[in-house]
Parts: sequence; structure tokens; C-alpha cells
Amino acid sequence: MAQTQLKNKTHTEVEDGSSLKGTLASVFFVGIFIVLTWVGVYFLYLDRF
Amino acid sequence: MHMHKFEKVWLIFGVAALLVFLTVLGVSAFYLGNQPPSCLATIDPEKVDTTAPFNEPGLKKVEGKDWDYELVFVAQAFAYTPGEVEVPLGAKVKVIATTKDVIHGFEVAGTNINMMVEPGYISEHVTVFDKPGEYLILCNEYCGTGHHMMTSKIKVVE
Repeated sequence: MAQTQLKNKTHTEVEDGSSLKGTLASVFFVGIFIVLTWVGVYFLYLDRF
Repeated sequence: MHMHKFEKVWLIFGVAALLVFLTVLGVSAFYLGNQPPSCLATIDPEKVDTTAPFNEPGLKKVEGKDWDYELVFVAQAFAYTPGEVEVPLGAKVKVIATTKDVIHGFEVAGTNINMMVEPGYISEHVTVFDKPGEYLILCNEYCGTGHHMMTSKIKVVE
């Protein structure tokens, strides 16, 4: 028998759009890189005459 | 205003890093007295040869100053005077340089001594030569056809 009901539920997983985990990781990746290069150059400066 | 917790975290990190960098810069400039190599000292570029201390280039011992020696260099296309100089190990030296013609560079390779010498201005850098060896002085401002030949040498000896 033909089924006319609209029963086939489509279940869409909605990701939480407000998650900033990836952004946080990216920001600190760049931030730590800047700090490390700065510290590296600073100690090179202190080491040389 | 709603602000995400992570946003606060990286804003605080960024502002703190900025404050640290600016504090280091401020201490260096206003407490340690570091200044740009060319800092308000001027000279008539046409009278370099007759103006002290450039009338006697080379290493000179001085008394009653914060440094023990003055190392005077005159740059001109395409050489430095003196062409080679010996500095005793551990000496606190004020390097003083100027140019008679165009802008030259004064880079002692592998050290912090790296300054522009500009006509009309005197460039200075105080340092302690605490590592023995031969140090190449290079012109790193393009000054003409002989630019790549323009070198001198500092020997730090015991």
C-alpha cells in the first residue's frame, strides 16, 4: 500500500557554530611563534657584542 | 556586551605580550640609554679630514670616559680608513664613524655593530669586544660600482 505519510525523518547534525576551539588554537599557534622568534632574536642580540 | 571566553583569553595574551615588548624597549632606551647609532651628532662632510677625531682614524686610548678606547673610521667610496685594525680582547670601545661622500653601511659581520654612515652625521656604537677573532667590516648600503669591494677588518687579539 502506498504510504503517503511524511515520516522519513532527516536527521541533520547541527554543529555548534559558536565553538572557537580552532580559532583559539590558530591564534596561539601564531602567537607562540611570534614570541619564540622574538625571544630568539633578543638572546642572539645579548649574546653577540 | 557578550564576549566568548576564548576571545578574552587571546586578548589578554596579546595585550600582555605587547606590554612585555614595550617594557623591554622602554628599559633599553630610557634606563640603559640605548639610542640609534646616528643620534644628533653632526659634522661638515667636506671637512672630515681636518675635524677631530676623524683627522686621526684608528684606535685611540681615552681616559675618563665610560669606554677605554675610541675606534674611529672614515668611510668613502670605496674603502674604510683604517683598512685593518687590532683591538685588545675585552676592551670597551666606542666605534665612531662618518663618511666623506655618500651613504655607506658599517656592518661588522656577526656582531651587533651595524650602522648606516651618512654624510653630515656621526654614527656611534659602544660595545665590549669580548670574543677574539677576525671580524669583517662590510658596506651594506649600495654606494656605487665598487660597493662590493668595500671592506675593512677588525682583529680582536689577546
